[in-house]
Amino acid sequence: MADSQLEATAAASAFQKQWFADLRRRVFEERQPYALLQADVPFELFDLVDIPAVSNQWWAAIVAAKRQAPKFLDAMDADGLHGDLCRYCSLGYASTRYPDAGDSPWGGLPTPRLLCARLTCDCIHRVFSLWAATFGAELFEIDHPGAGDLPPRWWELGRHNWRELVEPHRLAFVVSTLERLVERLEAISGRALDRDALRERLELVNQQEEVFDAVRRLIAAAPECPVRMTEQITNVMATQWVRGSTWALAHARAFYDEVKRRVDDSVAACPGERARLMWIGAGLWHDTAFYTAFEASHRAVFVWSMYLAFGPDGYIRYGLDDPMAALASRTASFNEYLHNPPWAAEWIVHQAREHRIDGALVLRPHRMKASGTGRFFIERALEDADIPVLPIDADVVDARDWDADRARAVVRSFLDTRVL
Amino acid sequence: MQEPCVVASWPSVPVEIVRTAGFRPVMIRGASDPTPAADVHLEPGIFPSRLRRLVEDALTGRLTHAARIVIPRTSDADYKCFLYLRELVRKGVTTALAPIVLFDLLQSRGPDVPAYDVARMHALLDELSSASGRMASDDDLRKEITRANTARAAARCLVALRRPVPRIPGSEVFPLLAAFWEMEPERYAEMAIDAATRIAARPPLPGPRVLLTGAPVDGHTLHETIESHGAVVVDEVGPWGSGAAGEDVRIDDDPVAALADKYRADSIGARTPVDALRRLTQSRLDEVDAVVVSLPPDDAVFGWDYPALRDGLNARGIPHLCLRCDPYERPTPADHAALDAMASAASRLQEARHG
Repeated sequence: MADSQLEATAAASAFQKQWFADLRRRVFEERQPYALLQADVPFELFDLVDIPAVSNQWWAAIVAAKRQAPKFLDAMDADGLHGDLCRYCSLGYASTRYPDAGDSPWGGLPTPRLLCARLTCDCIHRVFSLWAATFGAELFEIDHPGAGDLPPRWWELGRHNWRELVEPHRLAFVVSTLERLVERLEAISGRALDRDALRERLELVNQQEEVFDAVRRLIAAAPECPVRMTEQITNVMATQWVRGSTWALAHARAFYDEVKRRVDDSVAACPGERARLMWIGAGLWHDTAFYTAFEASHRAVFVWSMYLAFGPDGYIRYGLDDPMAALASRTASFNEYLHNPPWAAEWIVHQAREHRIDGALVLRPHRMKASGTGRFFIERALEDADIPVLPIDADVVDARDWDADRARAVVRSFLDTRVL
Repeated sequence: MQEPCVVASWPSVPVEIVRTAGFRPVMIRGASDPTPAADVHLEPGIFPSRLRRLVEDALTGRLTHAARIVIPRTSDADYKCFLYLRELVRKGVTTALAPIVLFDLLQSRGPDVPAYDVARMHALLDELSSASGRMASDDDLRKEITRANTARAAARCLVALRRPVPRIPGSEVFPLLAAFWEMEPERYAEMAIDAATRIAARPPLPGPRVLLTGAPVDGHTLHETIESHGAVVVDEVGPWGSGAAGEDVRIDDDPVAALADKYRADSIGARTPVDALRRLTQSRLDEVDAVVVSLPPDDAVFGWDYPALRDGLNARGIPHLCLRCDPYERPTPADHAALDAMASAASRLQEARHG
């Protein structure tokens, strides 16, 4: 059994902690600017003009994992923000707005020079406006035009035929918005964006995602899952925020090598594996132990989450003559790929088949309205593909209503009655 | 024979465009009826009543007469509803349904947005014109803008009878104002002017004056609830009541651009920039004695504005109340008790202000 973590996982965690410490030092001691971004903003543009960027979702996950979320969320409640508002995208804001309510990890977020968000769900404009006002910082918004044409099997078009994935008027709009973003970043950093460097960076991103694609294939094909889903996520998340960097590519390769060694040595995360599970939705950051809780009792192992799988299918763009257009084509439809019909359901069923999934747990996030949509379509598509589905009612950062024992009992019952 | 219509899910779809293409606009609104067919596909707590109603009607054959179903991008729930309906058609769950059109109106402040909206407005006009076979000129569009502006002017006469001195309850005037979106402009103007003339002769209403804000309501049930406590709803932030008419659409060389500017700026909804909404609310506070903030369970947006609004109201000494119920469901006894308390406090404020 793979009781010990991968070396890559420990390295990824250490890198993130050190990276954040370096960021704080740069901001406080060297007065360097940094940016606070939604996860679906093109980080590459920031890195190329030497503005480090922190992901809102990553920060929320860290706050939740450090078990500080309930304190900040209680402060939000006390301030009159009602309980049906999204807590995932706003937990970071809460940690800034109510600093005395809890202990922000690693000293907390310093004041960014810029916040940047894509206006996917309706609440993003609100949350980021409040957050920017609290910091006294600038906000740059990337609007999200709606997709009117969604061709089937998007993951087959995305790599080589990405222009066919996004209608020309939407692509042009996102390109011109990103060009304005670049103007702002150049003004802030005093550095010009080198377009050749952008192309090279996107080529490196392609290489990184190709490595993750190879890891994904290893996991899908191995007789038993060689690496737990939680470790997959740690390794992917650490690299995604600095994707295309020298460290990220080297780390992705180290991760691959270790997983490959495990496969070659027939090392399984859960030897005697009886059920392969997939998790659909954002991670349950306040209770990541949930994902390994059924290995001993049922030999049931979580094999798949979107975090590893989405990189290769969502990020790779070949044909980089116009790198900004390629970047825009990736940026334009994140939400549709992951949550909404027809794209999310058909991709997830495809992934389930590739990974020989026996059962799917689908997050029902009460407060994350955008992530909560499309669920019924996904659940039905999986059941139609003979993959049993268990919906899980939970908030990914708010543990206050989470009954860990009860949730585990429900999953055990699901495994007993529908999967095994 | 029924006049051909275009069904829209929110009044950010320009009625001038719909009429220019030769269609009658029909706006879907919420109701308290159950929506069992829609509930199979729409997750709870995300979609407002009007969108549940739209999907219910689509799945039960009640929209077969529509030439097009137009869904604007002015809220995420609308956009998702568009994607759902398209998928339900693709999957064959429903077949007797008009083509579904996304009207991708953006409302953020980026410099690229106005041109994008103009292009989308043109695309909508082209789509509807191809459906009707009526190719419209700029002059046709200007004519429809002029007609709608006439109706807007009449609606403003009704609005003037609500504040500062109310002569008509909100629950009575709301349907008159909401009719702006669907009635033929000449008939609407005639009806509104006639109603305004009669209402102007009424004595002022004595109750405390209430502004209804938060998530925009598309019906007057909440008005009835509030007014059952002796208050008068004199205004609401949203596109259905006092906000239905708004300012005129400018008439110039580029009618499509004029409409794009008007609807981007004036369409109140989930993607209206927060500072615009805040200014709108602030501008109304001088003429009200209390504020009710409606934040139904599907609200993902307006609740974020509440702490700042509350602090502003407290600073001005204006009583207020936050209602979490769905406007189409019965308020709880606790809601009624809170409304009673708010009405009493508002009456005291009214007396202090006006004697």
